[in-house]
Amino acid sequence: MTEKQKKSEKAFAPEVDERELHKLERTWEEPRGIMGFLMTTNHKTIAKRYIVTAFIFFLLGGMEAALMRLQLSRPGNNLLNPDLYNEIFSTHGTTMMFLFAVPIMEGIGLYFVPLMVGTRNVAFPRMNAFGYFIYLIGGLFLYTGFFLNVGPDAGWFAYVPLSGPEYSPGKRVDIWGQMITFTEIAALVGAVEIITTVFKQRVPGMSLNRIPLFVWTQVVTSFMIIFAMPAVMLASQMLPADRLISTHFFNPAEGGDALLWQHLFWFFGHPEVYIIFIPALGFISSIIATFTRRAVFGYTAMVLSLIATGFIGFGLWVHHMFATPLPQLGQSFFTGASMMISIPSGVQVFCWIATLWSGKIHMKTPLIFVLGFFAIFTIGGLSGVMLASVPLDLQVHDTYFVVAHFHYVLIGGAVFPLFGAIYYWFPKWTGKMLGERAGRWHFWLFFIGFNLTFFPMHWLGLKGMPRRVYTYLPEMGWSYGNLAASIGAGVMALAVLVFLVNVLKSLRVGEVAGDNPWGAETLEWSVSSPPPVYNFFYLPTVNGRNPLWSQMEETPVVVGLSTECREVLVTNILDAEPEHRYELPGPSIWPFLLALAVGETFTVGIFTPWGFPVGAALSTLALFGWFWSKPKSEGVRALEKPKTRSLDEARLSEEGA
Amino acid sequence: MTGRPALEVSALPQHGFDTRAPLWWGNLFLLMIETTMFGILVATYFYLRQNFLLWPPPHTHISPFLLDPVPNLLIPTINLFVILLSCVPMFLVDKAARRGDKLVAQIGLLICIIFAVAAIILRWKEFWGIGFTWDENAYGSVMWFVLGMHMLHLMTGLGECVFLALWVFLRKFDEKHRLDITVLAVYWYWIAGVWIPLYAIIYFTPRWQ
Repeated sequence: MTEKQKKSEKAFAPEVDERELHKLERTWEEPRGIMGFLMTTNHKTIAKRYIVTAFIFFLLGGMEAALMRLQLSRPGNNLLNPDLYNEIFSTHGTTMMFLFAVPIMEGIGLYFVPLMVGTRNVAFPRMNAFGYFIYLIGGLFLYTGFFLNVGPDAGWFAYVPLSGPEYSPGKRVDIWGQMITFTEIAALVGAVEIITTVFKQRVPGMSLNRIPLFVWTQVVTSFMIIFAMPAVMLASQMLPADRLISTHFFNPAEGGDALLWQHLFWFFGHPEVYIIFIPALGFISSIIATFTRRAVFGYTAMVLSLIATGFIGFGLWVHHMFATPLPQLGQSFFTGASMMISIPSGVQVFCWIATLWSGKIHMKTPLIFVLGFFAIFTIGGLSGVMLASVPLDLQVHDTYFVVAHFHYVLIGGAVFPLFGAIYYWFPKWTGKMLGERAGRWHFWLFFIGFNLTFFPMHWLGLKGMPRRVYTYLPEMGWSYGNLAASIGAGVMALAVLVFLVNVLKSLRVGEVAGDNPWGAETLEWSVSSPPPVYNFFYLPTVNGRNPLWSQMEETPVVVGLSTECREVLVTNILDAEPEHRYELPGPSIWPFLLALAVGETFTVGIFTPWGFPVGAALSTLALFGWFWSKPKSEGVRALEKPKTRSLDEARLSEEGA
Repeated sequence: MTGRPALEVSALPQHGFDTRAPLWWGNLFLLMIETTMFGILVATYFYLRQNFLLWPPPHTHISPFLLDPVPNLLIPTINLFVILLSCVPMFLVDKAARRGDKLVAQIGLLICIIFAVAAIILRWKEFWGIGFTWDENAYGSVMWFVLGMHMLHLMTGLGECVFLALWVFLRKFDEKHRLDITVLAVYWYWIAGVWIPLYAIIYFTPRWQ
């Protein structure tokens, strides 16, 4: 253990008043039992639910992928019929994008953002609970449909006219559309939570230029969600409206426009890729800093690159539409933007390389996954630059080349860092370390399996194999490539199995982690593993970007927050100077009831328009119940007149203490 | 206490208005979402318009036959003024909430409710002034969508007014709900403000072609 770490551990072990501690625990305690499950508003509990639920959807999506690979392993196979194959690839894509990738990234953010900025809960805890339930309802709705043979079958982006009323009768596309509505509500709720928490609840001293890079990635992602999701929010209402009440948004016969769908979808869909990818950049920065024992090189350049990525990410959507009639200027603009986005990504990669170069590398599983990311994401980036050019894109449009490309960027860019993040933070979630040896097996199996699966797809695409075909003829010459890909998929499945065994085994007999097993720098490592329900007994203050590495004994802690009600400290946006105390609401059943009411609106709504007025009425009732409850502090602090005191006075008391 | 220096915060107030309040920020982000949504809706409006030689399209399906069925202006314009005027009582309620003036806030909230109900009734009439239903053509669809989306916000604003009025009348005029009133005011100004360009776009631009 280094000198610095010893100091930080000492500095973060203030003497604790047992009685106060007990009171604080009682105040923040979550109710037990089934009602407790439905009522909890603790960000860690809800975030863990997000992560576990999203991972289950990942396994389901993976099984669908395995079925597709089995079907395609040899020419003329008839394991799956064409209709079922359509359902399976559509559900696979939808699951991975909407039910796995976005929620798991937000889930990890909702767990760690409050811990890293040093507060006790997110800004709107009941909204947070609502977000999870609405996401769960969306996922269950999709899979209920899938198992009843009404799963979506028009691809994960459901292009009209195929998904319109004429060519997709039945309920399949409606279920898809409303699932989008549910998951986008959840994503928007999570985004507002995260930004508000970061803007208003940072510990004193954590000015904007000291926010951990992980938190910056979550903020940038959340802003992208805020500006991208409204497009699909509209689209996912217009499509069911076309199908259910005969509007004509996408019907060319009555002046509607099929390409309008593509614009609306990709105006959301392209930023979506960055919504998935940018949080992964945060995992990478955290992991690299910890395992090289130095702060990430070029903090300012890193943050500016993230923000630049956030902006440029909105100028790319039309590159999904190069095969549609577009003005040449438009094509050139979107080609330019698509190439430009590699600049901020490049800046970040070089900053990480500089960090690795100048740091002292500890080769643990999380870092190995990050190194795997570098290899795979670079290949995905190269095929991305190729696809950004219109002539090449037109040649390989809708072929397996595109499939190869986006799996390289999405699995390479998001899933590899995600596995690294799970190895990295598992000790914080559970108090147990994941097995290191199994971790290495997991990595190598996954890495080899991944490349064996997706690398041949570049070649298959160039040979002309189209996406979304359920089988092919032996004369096409695609058999070996497909067989290799199918074997690779089996290896990937084995890797995930190793991971699951590792998780289950470590939960039982894993090495006990302690507070800060990796000697990391950010505030979440200053509390026990798993963290107490109230996060911090005394909120810390910070004096630099790497609090646990630079914290001294004389760094003050925050005292004076109530232990009787769920109080947090609100600070100002730029410099995190204390502004006021603020009571957060406790457990409540209303978020769950509101989620049910909203769920009723959109699920019944696809069968009868009455679903909407009934749902609106039920939602109003639920909201009324939600807001009619009294805050706890009314009883506790009713008599205490709040005294306003200037910040200077607050600082004086800091010096005086 | 801990042996460590402490930053004492117990004397800080329990609430703050405007940028100090997390709720104010939460509302701001909601409005960013909704503004983006209306922005994309406007883009949709003009995108669909490219498909039409005449906008609005001639009314040929049913009688009376109209070559240029531009939407009726009278009721929409009255409603625009109703919506804009409703900002005045809302502004007074906002100020009263900050001062802690319960009586003005109560009366103001009631006036706001009356304005909101009037706006919603007039909006209902606006739908029938379009001249097309949502299922006749893309023009009808997008007009109904713009009006409907904005009406949803009027209804949400009305719901919030009713809720806060009930709280202030039946319970008390506490700090938390005074803050809520000021945040509602921001939401309300936004509903009115966003309607000015939307009104101009859907009612005036068809007359300028």
